[in-house]
Amino acid sequence: MMHKSLCRGIPGWRWIVLASLALLITVLPIPANAKAPQARTFHVQASRFSYRPAVLTANPGDRVTIELKATDVVHGLAIDGYNLETTSDPGQTARLTFVADRRGSFRFRCTVTCGNMHPFMIGRLQVGRNDLLWRAAGLAILAAAAGVWKERK
Amino acid sequence: MNRLQEVTWKGKVPLAEGLPASPRIRAPQKRINLAQVTWFRPLLLSRWPQFLIRCLTLAGSVFTIFAGLFGSPVGSHNFAIIFVWIAWWTALKLAFIPLGGRSWCSVCPIPLPGEWLQQGGTLEKRRHRFSLNLRWPKRLRGSWLQSSGFLLIGLFSAVTMTDARVTAWVLLGLFGLAIGLSLTFERRAFCSYLCPIGGFSGIYAKTAPPEVRVVDASICVSHREKTCYLNCPWGLYPLALRDSSQCGLCLECLRSCPQDNIAINLRPFGSDLGWSRQSGRLDDAFLALVMLGSALAFATVFTGPWGSLKSAAFAIGSPPWGLYALGFLAFNLTLMPGLFSLAVWMGSRWSGQKTQLRRAIGNQSQVLLPLGLFAWIAFTISFAFPKLNTVLSVLSDPLGWGWNLLGIANTPWSPDLSGISSILQVSILLAGLFWSASVAQRLVKASDRGSLRQALPILAFCFLFTLAMFWLLVG
Amino acid sequence: MSKEWLARSIVIVLAVGAIAIPAVASWGRRHGIEIHARMAETGGWTPESLTAVVGVPLRLRLTSDDVIHGFAIGQTDLPVVDVIPGEFSEVTYTFDRPGKYTFYCTRWCGINHWRMRGAIVVSGPGTKPDIARPPLYVSLGLEIDARNPADVVPVQKPSSARGAWLGATIPAAYLSRDYYLAHSPLELWKALRDEPNLRNFSDQDIWDLAALVWKSNATPQELKTGQQLYATNCAACHGESGAGDGVFADQLDRPKSGEHAEMRAGEMTTRPAGFTAPQSMLSASPAQLQGKIIRGGMGTGMPYWGPIFTEEQTWALVAHLWTFQFDLEDRP
Repeated sequence: MMHKSLCRGIPGWRWIVLASLALLITVLPIPANAKAPQARTFHVQASRFSYRPAVLTANPGDRVTIELKATDVVHGLAIDGYNLETTSDPGQTARLTFVADRRGSFRFRCTVTCGNMHPFMIGRLQVGRNDLLWRAAGLAILAAAAGVWKERK
Repeated sequence: MNRLQEVTWKGKVPLAEGLPASPRIRAPQKRINLAQVTWFRPLLLSRWPQFLIRCLTLAGSVFTIFAGLFGSPVGSHNFAIIFVWIAWWTALKLAFIPLGGRSWCSVCPIPLPGEWLQQGGTLEKRRHRFSLNLRWPKRLRGSWLQSSGFLLIGLFSAVTMTDARVTAWVLLGLFGLAIGLSLTFERRAFCSYLCPIGGFSGIYAKTAPPEVRVVDASICVSHREKTCYLNCPWGLYPLALRDSSQCGLCLECLRSCPQDNIAINLRPFGSDLGWSRQSGRLDDAFLALVMLGSALAFATVFTGPWGSLKSAAFAIGSPPWGLYALGFLAFNLTLMPGLFSLAVWMGSRWSGQKTQLRRAIGNQSQVLLPLGLFAWIAFTISFAFPKLNTVLSVLSDPLGWGWNLLGIANTPWSPDLSGISSILQVSILLAGLFWSASVAQRLVKASDRGSLRQALPILAFCFLFTLAMFWLLVG
Repeated sequence: MSKEWLARSIVIVLAVGAIAIPAVASWGRRHGIEIHARMAETGGWTPESLTAVVGVPLRLRLTSDDVIHGFAIGQTDLPVVDVIPGEFSEVTYTFDRPGKYTFYCTRWCGINHWRMRGAIVVSGPGTKPDIARPPLYVSLGLEIDARNPADVVPVQKPSSARGAWLGATIPAAYLSRDYYLAHSPLELWKALRDEPNLRNFSDQDIWDLAALVWKSNATPQELKTGQQLYATNCAACHGESGAGDGVFADQLDRPKSGEHAEMRAGEMTTRPAGFTAPQSMLSASPAQLQGKIIRGGMGTGMPYWGPIFTEEQTWALVAHLWTFQFDLEDRP
């Protein structure tokens, strides 16, 4: 009872609570289930206009090798966020080796014009858990609550 | 609004229909009247500034069509593809619509040739006019055709957005259609009832700052000629203007009002959303849902990793494309409207509301507007940001003919904005959800026995949509 | 009245300018012949045939309308240039001998990439390169399409380094270039097997000696050239490991008969040959392999490289093909 009246005494207490929760969700480090880093090789076939497999999953710290095999025309692969790029001609498999030290979800795209849908030739590299997605989901709940509270008066 | 357009004005005054006489009853917030800003006013009153901008956009369209037809077939090196689907589309979604509502319509070149024929003059109306001036058929009024147009775009978008020739032909087709409709029907029939861009600009214009309203209704009451209505190419009556979705900001009413009683107001964002008295039309509700569904569909097909979907969307006429088309249409025609209607119905039942479901859907669809607006902004950022460097390089070599006008034809791989881009997209989607939630709550307050239960299912719908967009764009 | 005419003139000036400016500007700089490259299925080179004069520079402006291609002129060492979509590459060639030159695409652009060829007819003074010298397999009377599998094969991959350790004396007749060109490794093995002073060596040892002989006929530079040529021209169909499992292998593997056979002339293809099976490779001579490369396959989809590779290049490629059968490293 006393607690309730205390809170009500502070003007805008709802917003303070909301803001603190939002801050918490945004910056709180979520403990990672530490899996031992290993070496992984992905054999990615590139054709017009898709990668197979298109979704690659790795753990943070893994030594990842992507073997890019173009199957019809020359294709490339560049990973957003890692700033890595390689090109493969059919008959010449290209290799990209790096340590997956950045966590999250990164899209990789084709870098050599391979036809009409080239700008949409996209795949996804998933390193560990996608914290951005989880934090966004949490913040979405807060956003909806905040929107409702804003009009309560 | 449609009913008003049918009344013929011969000195009659529209005060019936239960509409409030003065818009001031519902406008307690501040508005800035641009028509009264001293240095800006002459720019609005004179026809020249708007005319010159429209001439430029017309020349731009001519060049775009030329580039599309004769330039390099490689999309990334063709002005038509880059400037229509990246530069103009981004400007539309990030600036024109959120900040200016239907502002693109005020400078759009597509109806221009038709208008000249209709009004008999390039700058102003003249004597010899060419048009049958038929009334637009009653059955085809509303935004149904615009929603259908947007769904059609969705079915053929994979080819349209990537093939320069097709882009050019689509533009030519739009010009031809607009001219044809101007010669047949009165006013800007193409813009009001057919143009898909106009359709979604219109519904999102309700969230944007600009609005055209009258300053003092009592002046209008005593004015017999109603020159504003007679001169409006959109067939609107300013006194009765309650929402901005039909007004194309052409400013003819401003120029023709003898009492200087028309205001071009800038209002706070979303100040017109959330009032039950808004005419909740089913066609606008459907359009809002189509926009949401299309955002999800486009994000899935274009920015997702599912190559078979992309190939299916591209191979128009083939059986995989048929499946894609079926799925796209089923999603937009049944799943999205069905889920939303269910949410509205559940909300109504739980909170004991007695309104007809049809009216409730129309009303509650306002909640979807901020959500859709921001979802499209986020999606546009996701696909346009990686290609912004092509905007500069294509200015240097617009036709892909090997020019280097600005010396930047071969810009190296652009800086990696992917980190910022993801955070930006998430923030924008969160802002949209926040705003939609506030509109939902406003509707709860404005209804008779409103309780949060009315809004909860709809909030759940918006929340799920936001989660889906998160997963598609940054997941 | 004048306002209206001013308005109309502005519209016309801007709209016409939008088209006139690019049209005029494109007349400005027209140096060189513009060649557009497209994948073979949608047109190939446009134009496909050019003419030139000896000693007069031929300026070309190359662009691609779809994917990345490359441009090179066969049987010369004139520069190779990439043809990039939407961009122009400028190159100038000067020919010193008349004749018909074949230009071709150098970056794989689909299964029909090798069909992307055109011709440059160069006229003028000078002697034409000697034409009708028949390839070696013709003058030797060798059959290049027959398949007689090897009846004896090595137990493990023969190694020239092991062969060198054996310290055997190989009769000089087998060490000549002419012998190498005209005989298969199997023939050499059988001949060496019958040599009296090599009687004490095992069958595998004889194979190692054969590998040694083969290695003596290929310089390291030749092997390197061959490897590069193989990677850029052959691996897409024949596979990077030489097993006939390249990226196009499945598409080329079309049945010869039955309901789904496509019997149109020139469109029949078969699965690309593998070079890793000893039975087929060891019974082929370098001349036969060279013949196959030059002439291509009759109804198999194998391109004919005669107008493209010089003779040195062809022999280098053949030398590389043997590395699928023999270990020619200095250390095994």
